[in-house]
Order: sequence, then structure tokens, then C-alpha cells
Amino acid sequence: MITASIFGLVALLVVVLGLALVLRPRGPSTLDFYLAGRRVGVATNACAICGDYFSAASFLGVAAAVYVSGLDGIWYATGFAAGFIPVLLFVAAPLRRFGEFSIPDFLGRRLESDGTRLTAVTVVQLIILSYLVPQAVGSGITWELLVGHGIAGLSPYATGVLVTTAAITLIVALGGMRGTTWTQAVQFLLLLCAFIWLAIAVLGSGFNYAGAVDELSTGPLANPSVEDGEWRLETERDRIDGDEPATFGEPGARYGQLGQFALIITLIMGTAGLPHIMNRYFTSPTGIAARMTTVWVLGLAGVFYALAVLLGTAARSLIPEAAREHPWLAELTVDGVLRVPEHALLVLGRIYGDEVGLGFIATGALIAVMSTIAGLLLASAASWGHDVYERHLNPRASQRQAVWAGRSAVVLVAVVSAVVALTMRPDSLTALLPSIVATMVTWAFALAGSALTPVFMLTIWWRGTTAAGAVAGMATGTITAIGMIVAGTVLGADGLREMLLTPTVVAAPLAATVTVLVSRRTVTPPNLDRLWLKLHGTAADRQALRLARLTIAGIDEPSRGAAGNATKSRQR
Amino acid sequence: MVPDVPGATSTRSDGESPEPLGYELTDEYDMPAEVDATFRTLRRVAFGYFTVFLVVVAAVPVLTLALDWWSQGRLIGGMSPSFAMAAFGLYVFFFVLAIAAATLANAVEDRMLGGPERDQHEQRSTPL
Repeated sequence: MITASIFGLVALLVVVLGLALVLRPRGPSTLDFYLAGRRVGVATNACAICGDYFSAASFLGVAAAVYVSGLDGIWYATGFAAGFIPVLLFVAAPLRRFGEFSIPDFLGRRLESDGTRLTAVTVVQLIILSYLVPQAVGSGITWELLVGHGIAGLSPYATGVLVTTAAITLIVALGGMRGTTWTQAVQFLLLLCAFIWLAIAVLGSGFNYAGAVDELSTGPLANPSVEDGEWRLETERDRIDGDEPATFGEPGARYGQLGQFALIITLIMGTAGLPHIMNRYFTSPTGIAARMTTVWVLGLAGVFYALAVLLGTAARSLIPEAAREHPWLAELTVDGVLRVPEHALLVLGRIYGDEVGLGFIATGALIAVMSTIAGLLLASAASWGHDVYERHLNPRASQRQAVWAGRSAVVLVAVVSAVVALTMRPDSLTALLPSIVATMVTWAFALAGSALTPVFMLTIWWRGTTAAGAVAGMATGTITAIGMIVAGTVLGADGLREMLLTPTVVAAPLAATVTVLVSRRTVTPPNLDRLWLKLHGTAADRQALRLARLTIAGIDEPSRGAAGNATKSRQR
Repeated sequence: MVPDVPGATSTRSDGESPEPLGYELTDEYDMPAEVDATFRTLRRVAFGYFTVFLVVVAAVPVLTLALDWWSQGRLIGGMSPSFAMAAFGLYVFFFVLAIAAATLANAVEDRMLGGPERDQHEQRSTPL
């Protein structure tokens, strides 16, 4: 057990629990519990979105993907960051101006259809579950390496999954969106600090980034795999140049020509359909604030992912030499290459900061997991508690009952995700799919980008979208994406397989086409003109700004008066 | 006051639910024709920027196939242009694009919406 790590973890839990308690909703209000009263400022919301978005896939997974696949792994980082451009251009401001509680609520209100809302709830829950499970897996992996011991007879992996899920469930159920927003913002800043510290330590030791890329690109790229129960290094085949070995600095280690496009389209389209991220936009005070929040997110994401790529490269370059000097690396590596790529940053942390360094990075990894789990649980609670319970099961529910429905949903979804994560064995999956955490999150992006984003964008930007069209589009996108992913995991052929595992490039256009075709044969909502003004008008923004100016003027006036009186008194 | 114009809606300050014309008294309102014109302009802006974004992102892997120098050439220090672009160049591009698009969209909305109210406010605030 590593004492520094345990201290770090305990301090972290105390801080986030304290924040959640201090900032918890003061009264039973669903607007407060789900949306923090719609008063979250640009910088705070941007940090909270980053905390929400930068999950284990970003913190451990991107560096792991770069470590294992070189340039092809960078496309994960590019896609994760690029996803916010469509959000900025097409979604952020109109979504906030329409001003509902969740994606299903938005679709249900905009299309004036309960059927659309319930279909969207189903899709949202599928996305949340497929995003939650890899986070829980990431927490298990981190605990295994960080603490190395289980509690009450459980394995370290199972303990990590259960402890993390339980802690976050408590924070979300207590703090609601207000508490979660501030804990996510603080967690993101800690995450960024962990990356900056590690980058400074690595570069300070004389690591030459460009030189390392050049050196790694001169030889073939090889990764450990299990054959007949034995670990050995296997050279990666270049999927673009046929039978040539792949290299670190050139494309082809993981994807063929089509696979690269399929991956990046999947990630770009997926972000706009992620319920836990889109829900955060409803917390902005105005549409303009939501838009500017996205600009901040893009800036912060750029810094974060550039550092993740640097550190993944550093791990690939530095760990083989370190393996000769540090005996503890022997059981984690095969000829100097890590068996589990997600260990890359943790190992770098221990090399450069000993146990304290490992504790810091491992705490960062758990922070990434916890803040994303918090956002997902809250999105799930909004979906079950607001869209299902309040809208359908008990429309006359009091605010207190509605908030308790949300809290119950948080607990239920947390239990389901932990149980699914406990049935998975990361070691065995790693042999099948390099960087399992990033890969599994990609499936969630695929589902979001295939089923929700096309319908979402058409609903915002095409007046002709109807409820029947949206339901047909979501069903088509979901079935196509799941079908292709299942086929991809069964099929062995490389080119077809990588295409099937990133299905958005096929499923999204299909979903959009079906939405348009069905919409053309059905009727738009009767109050379309009014809905359109709400979606694209800025009256609410201007009203909010006027009220803010009046409030500031009201605060300034008495203080100026008081200052004037004080001056007069002094003159007297 | 909300003007007596068919289709116009007033909006509550919390953005929860705009009431139909005349149900709520407030200075802020949008005219359907103005909103429609703004929506069309913003759609053109968004699709224009999105096209630029897609072309640049797609260019990185496409150039690998078209230009040997792109992935095998070496910049200062030994990093290939392809790797440098993917590792940090694209993030700079995304940020610059985001600032430009957000600034333009805000300016379009500011100029095309809220005209009559702005005029009223200006008239009220103009000293006699």
C-alpha cells in the first residue's frame, strides 16, 4: 500500500464531499438539483464541462492509445477535442435558449411529442451505460495499481470499482448539479495540474519530444500479446502499406485509410449527442454564455490533449530504459513495453516522482473517472427523474418527490454500471482491443453520434422535422450502430472490422435520411412558429442581460451613495 | 410593452416558457421575420465554418497519402509535419476557428435581433 497515494485519495474525497455538502441545493427544487438554477458562469461551466468530459478515456486512454499506436492513437485526442466544433456551431446557443432539462426533454418539447421523449430516454440511457462502464473499469485498474489491496475479501479491481462508484453516488445525490459543477471544475484543475507537473518533470529530465518521435519512427512498432499463455512482443503490421511493419510516427499502426476517417467522424459527431455534456449547457444563464463556454472548452481541451499526446510519446520512449533500472517494472512490461497501455502515465509518475508521483497521477486518474461518473449519473437522474417520473409517471409530483426520484435514479444506475464493470476482466480484453478504456468510450460516442446527433441537429436547424421522423431516425441510428459494433467484434478481417467498430460514418447519414423521409410524410408541431422563436430568438438573452445590468446598477448606486456620504463626512 | 404584431412572442427572463403575444408584459421580444432572417444567416455561417473545419481535419490523413514529405519529412527537431499537426497544430486551429465563429455569430445576433427595443432604449436614454 502506498501511503502518499492513500493520503491523496482521502484528501480528495474530503474536498469533493465538502464541496458537495456546502453547495448542495438548499430547498427541494428540480431546477436547482438538475441545473444549478441556470446561473453557472462561463469559466466555471467550461472547467466543469472539461471535468465532465475528460474521463478515464482522456486521462489514461489517450496517452495509452498514443503509447500503443503512435500517430493513429493521436486521432482519439483530435476527435475528442474536435467534437466541440459542431457543438459550438450548431448546438450550444439554441439548445440553451430553448431551455429544458435534458436532451429527451428538449426533443419532446420541440417536437411536442411524449413518444419522442421516451424514445430519446431509451437512447440516452444506453449511451450513459456504455460510457459509465469504461469509467468504472478505469477506476478498478487504477486502484489495482495504486493501492494493490482489496477490502473485505474483494479483489483490488473490484474494490476500486465499488469504492469509486459509492463515493460519487453520494456526492451527486447530495450535491445535485450545483455541488457537482463546482467539484467537477475543481477536479478538472487538479487533473490539468497532474498533467502539467508530469510534463515539466519529463521535459526537465532532458526528454526531447521531437527527437523521441524521430527515434521511435525509425524502427518497427511492437506491442505485447498473449500467445499460448505467454506474453511476447509482436510487431504491428502497417494497415495502409500492407505487409510492412508499422512505425510510431506514421499512420497505419491501428487503422487503414478508411478507418482513420471513420474514427474521427465517430468522435466528432458523438460529442454533440453526449447527454452529460449537453445537459451542462442548460445550466448557462444565456445562449451567448453557452456559446462562449464552448470556446473556453476548446482552448482548455487543446492544452489538455496536447499534453496527453506528449506524455504518451514520452512513456513509449522512456519506459524501456527505465525497465532496466527499476526492478518493479519487470512484472508490468515485456521487453520494456507495458502489458497494459493504460499504465503508461502511472508508471511515468512513479519513475519521476516515486510513490508520491504515482499517488498524484493515480489520484488524477481517479479524479477523471469520478468527475465523469458524476456527470453521467446526473444526466441519468435527469432523464429518469424528470423525463420519465415527472413527465409521465407522476405529473403532479411535488418538488420534493421529484428530487427524491432523481436521487433514487442516481443510486440505481450506479449499481447497474458497477455490476457490469465487475463482470469484465481488463487484462483479457486488452489482448483483444488495445487501450480498452478509450475503445469502449468510442462505442458510446458511436451510439450518440449515430442515434442522437443527426436527429438533434435536424430538430434545431430544419423546421420540417417531425416527431415521427425523429423517432424513426433515432431507432435507425441505434439499431445500425449496435448491429455494426456487434458485427465488428465478431468479425476478424481488419479493414471491415475497424469500419464496423466506428459505425457513425454509415449510421448517422442513414439516421438523418430516415428522419427527413419520414418527416416529409408527417405533420410538424402546430406551434412551430412559437417554438422556432424560442429556439433561435435572443429575447431571453437580452432580458437576462438587462436584468443583470439593472442588478449591477442597483448594487453600484447604494455603494456610490455610501461612498459619497463617507466623503462628505470626511470633508465635514 | 410587447407590440401588437402577429406571431411575436415575449420571453420570460428565466427562458422557461415564452408566452404568446400579449400574455406577459416585457420590453424584450423577437419578431418572427427577424428571427427567420437571423436563423438563415447563422446557418450559412455555421455551415461555412464547418466546411473549413472538415477540410482541414480531413487534409491531415489525406496529405499522408498524397505527399511523402508530409509523413516522412522532418521539421526542426525531427518531428514530421503530419505528427506536429496532429499533436498540437490542430488544437490551435480549432481554438482560432472557435473564436472567429463565436465572434461572428454573436455579432450577427446583436445586429439582426432586438432592433426596435434597442431603438426604444436609445430614445429613452437620449438626453432632451
